[in-house]
Amino acid sequence: MVGMLSVERLVKRRGSREILTDVTFRAAPGRVTGLLGPNGAGKSSTLRILLGLDRADAGTALVDGRPYRRLRQPLRTVGSMLDGSGAHRSRTARNHLTWMARSNHIPTRRVAEVLDQVGLGAVGGTRVGRFSYGMCQRLGLAAALLGEPRALVLDEPVNGLDPEGIRWIRGLLRGHADAGGTVLLSSHLISEVDQIADDLVVIAHGRVVAAGPTGEVTAGYPTLEDAFFALTGPTAGGR
Amino acid sequence: MSFPNTVAAEIRKTATLPATMVALAVAVLGPVAITLINAVGVRAALRSGRPELTAYTSPVEAVFSAVPIGTVGAVVLGVVAVSAEYTANRANIGGGRQITTTLTATPGRLGVLAGKAIAVSLLVAVAALVAIPASLALADKIIGGYAPPTPDGVLSRSVGAGIYWMLTALTALAVTVFTRNGIAPIIVLVVNSSLVSVSVLLSHLTPLARFLPDLAGMSMFAGDLLAFDEALAPLPGGLVMATWTAGLLVLAGAVFRWRDA
Repeated sequence: MVGMLSVERLVKRRGSREILTDVTFRAAPGRVTGLLGPNGAGKSSTLRILLGLDRADAGTALVDGRPYRRLRQPLRTVGSMLDGSGAHRSRTARNHLTWMARSNHIPTRRVAEVLDQVGLGAVGGTRVGRFSYGMCQRLGLAAALLGEPRALVLDEPVNGLDPEGIRWIRGLLRGHADAGGTVLLSSHLISEVDQIADDLVVIAHGRVVAAGPTGEVTAGYPTLEDAFFALTGPTAGGR
Repeated sequence: MSFPNTVAAEIRKTATLPATMVALAVAVLGPVAITLINAVGVRAALRSGRPELTAYTSPVEAVFSAVPIGTVGAVVLGVVAVSAEYTANRANIGGGRQITTTLTATPGRLGVLAGKAIAVSLLVAVAALVAIPASLALADKIIGGYAPPTPDGVLSRSVGAGIYWMLTALTALAVTVFTRNGIAPIIVLVVNSSLVSVSVLLSHLTPLARFLPDLAGMSMFAGDLLAFDEALAPLPGGLVMATWTAGLLVLAGAVFRWRDA
């Protein structure tokens, strides 16, 4: 299936510490998959391996059956956002997106299009160092959308956004999935994930403690929050 | 197919960095300014009929003794091309570094590094093509009629100076891949290329110092300015420096490829 993201038995060690243990899940086209876990659970590490930034010590992370590093023009297949804007502070938003577009042979007109789409059309010529947190997140999202990718991989996308921004990004991601795209997002915010995710992957201490459609994961608990704390808390029966 | 895109992106990325503009300005204006000072000194000595007051009387030497200052610009250029990737944004705006964008856009590490090396080389070449002819013209204009006949080899020494800058910039680029931070490489390499060359100091102790990269490379343009009897000839000197640079780039490539972003 186009846009399928699959992570299989990932193991990652930092020094002697194992930060990911047998992490396995899929994010399917047409669905929003929420990677939910406390800070330090291994969400970002998993996404960094999926995006070819870090190497796994064991296991595979594939995009349409291929490792990210093998994708020829990856921005056209997977749009991603990790840690804010991903732009050097002395660049303008437009300059940042322009070199990105050049690297993946994306038409330059897309730069203005995505800037308008994320609401930064008026500040494209402003240096990123002068942006607020919310503007940085919007620029990161613009970068993810630049290559009109089938899959979006977003690490904590709602961080720093104001309520209007959160509502807007929710609509955007819903629309992307409804149009057949894949959305994989991580968050430590239970209510956010609850509102948007079709599928859940709950991760704690580097292990997947629950995965499946949101209804199934939360079955037997009054709310997702109750499920979350039962699954990830110190008394959780994580394998 | 995708490598030209990578190179084009790296050229655009490097050339539009504000720090690059500063580096290019140093590489161009530095040598011109030092040439001006040198040439005025030479003219004064020649005018007063006391040429022994200066180490040289030729406008050409006034230029080539100013070349090391341009190396400072080359160093900055090579360093910032890499260090800008690792500059962290403030945590209260989400943190993050450009390297994640670079490597998600172009996952091939060696392609990224090669693209950067090409971008830096081109920018240094542009700086050299402006700075050296401009300095030669300036020195000639100032010293003018007082000057002794023009010595041979000005063209080859000019090309050698440009290559010296380029190899120095690539060395700086490779070293910054190891450090992921520009401060240490800039301090060490700028001091070494403008104030005190460790290799030149070592040359007082052992003739083997001629095989060290900067001293070997200086033979490409320095001529008699290099007060070192065992200095290599220009061509072997250039090859020795190029070998050092290539070795460092290969090491940097291996580290860049193996290390997590």
